[in-house]
Amino acid sequence: MATTTAAKAPAKAVRRKTKNRDNKIAFLMLAPGLTLLSVFVIWPLIYAWGVSFYTWSFYEDSIYVGLRNFRLVLNDPNFAASIIRGLVYTVIVVPAILTIAFIFANVVKSVGRSAATFLKVSIYIPTIISGVIASIIFVLIYEFRQGLLNWLLGFFGIADKPWLGSADTALYALTVPGVWMGLGLASLIMLAGLLDIPEDYYEAAEIDGAGWFGKTFFITIPLMKNIILFLLVTGFVASIQQFELPLVMTQGGPTRSTQLPNLLIFQRFTTDLYVGYSIAGALLLLVVLGGLSAVIFKLISSEKAVDA
Amino acid sequence: MGATGQALREDPAQEITATEMGKVPRWRRRSRGPRGVGPTGRALTYLFGLFIILLSLFPLAWMAISGFKARQEVVRSPFQFFPEVWYVQNYIDILQDPAFVRALLVSFGGALLFALLSLTVNSMAAYAFARLEFAFKRVIWTIALMTMFIPHMAILLTSYIVVTRLGMLNTLWVLILPAAASGLHMFFIRQFYLGIPTAIEEAALVDGATRWQIFTKIFLPQSKPVFVVVGITSFLTFWNGYVWPLMTITEPGSSLTLIQPYLAIFRSERSVEYGMLLAGSTLAAMPVVILFLIFQRHIISGIRISGIK
Repeated sequence: MATTTAAKAPAKAVRRKTKNRDNKIAFLMLAPGLTLLSVFVIWPLIYAWGVSFYTWSFYEDSIYVGLRNFRLVLNDPNFAASIIRGLVYTVIVVPAILTIAFIFANVVKSVGRSAATFLKVSIYIPTIISGVIASIIFVLIYEFRQGLLNWLLGFFGIADKPWLGSADTALYALTVPGVWMGLGLASLIMLAGLLDIPEDYYEAAEIDGAGWFGKTFFITIPLMKNIILFLLVTGFVASIQQFELPLVMTQGGPTRSTQLPNLLIFQRFTTDLYVGYSIAGALLLLVVLGGLSAVIFKLISSEKAVDA
Repeated sequence: MGATGQALREDPAQEITATEMGKVPRWRRRSRGPRGVGPTGRALTYLFGLFIILLSLFPLAWMAISGFKARQEVVRSPFQFFPEVWYVQNYIDILQDPAFVRALLVSFGGALLFALLSLTVNSMAAYAFARLEFAFKRVIWTIALMTMFIPHMAILLTSYIVVTRLGMLNTLWVLILPAAASGLHMFFIRQFYLGIPTAIEEAALVDGATRWQIFTKIFLPQSKPVFVVVGITSFLTFWNGYVWPLMTITEPGSSLTLIQPYLAIFRSERSVEYGMLLAGSTLAAMPVVILFLIFQRHIISGIRISGIK
């Protein structure tokens, strides 16, 4: 707008002027947010990288040790085992969530409006429940003596199992509250994607004689590729970081069987004298997970997000 | 055949222009019932719907009802959903524990403060990013966005060291300040602000309004839908928070003990009081469930906006 009135030669100068015209008010309005972000997010992150090269404790001067902390983590069989556990947990939780969410979205799409609202509200409620409360509920459901699950399974002739008390089952037992809490958000995002598919496609396919399977596998799934990818990656990133459930339900036990990567890091942080190990571990996860989610965000939300 | 092919080819272009919000709601255009699915399919659909409701609500219903059970009745075989005798005493007992009531009140007040601070800080930043031209805008915006992708654990530990050094442990500030500014919320509000037409503010600018006036008089009054979503998300984050308060409120029996740590402590210290524990959990879940039910429409459509678009 301004450039149209300006002569051709000083156009650049004018543009520079308009570019920074709101400096004062802009920085005043940004100040609180950016200060808080800097002190509590950006500084701790930089600090973490700094600390990771030292032996650091609350009580002593730190000594530079180079990459030793990272090597400690990478050579630690407990860390590797916790990553494997995290992967097992994730490989169960994420596909379960995606499958149920996909069916859920299809169900909601085909029922009446008020039933759809009721379904959406019901599936989202567990999402707003805290991890502590979910843990309390499921611990009691899993109770060895006379718990609900064992009672139910008794009908099928299955003997009582100490679900959380046995290293064989504890990790799998944690996946149920994990799915329960994660289902709501994924389902609603899946539904939004499903409703975005133009109805005409299905009509056309129907004219061509496509059945439910044909429509699902040749229209719905290919067109929802992006959403499914988004949910897969965000689901992976979220569930591999899960540690509140094992922290409250099992404290990582029995015999470390539910010690997911973040729980290991957290427990080392609270018990170790030197924090280098835990911080290096957290940073290693950051590199992988942060990179992964930044890439997916870039891919899907595309230019729109960054074109300030 | 030919017509069908054409429709298929033409439609995407139309859809792109039509995906903006405010178009005819999709459900209106939908036919009733699953198309091309017989009565069996329809029955299956409803059966699955019922199953989902059961799956998501049963654990909570069980919690609330079991809050009325005597201690030895909560976990028993054969299972019984309703208590033999409705034992209201659990709810009365837990409400008579001053520490519980205090934890509820402090959590509620803290969550309100936190949501308010989060809205203030993030909406101002969002406005600047959406409408103002200033130096290093791109760089600052990119950094703010990047903070969204930092896994919690990567900064949790050093944040703890930072607040310890700042002498903030066991204060209200340590609970409220660190998570108030959020790249995600800035992004979310900014997206909303970008959708507000510029005509009115251009007229206001011509009339000599300042940018601050435009923000408070034009943008804030229109922000309700996005503020509801961000505000409630912030409230929930605070209310449900466990690990951070566990780390930073270290004095046992501190008046700043929030509700989630209270429940966790109750569980480990009085582990046999199942009925009371579930009564307390029910009361602790109630505020967020009620809040969600009141605003569910906004929240659910908020997910639609934030989802991928």
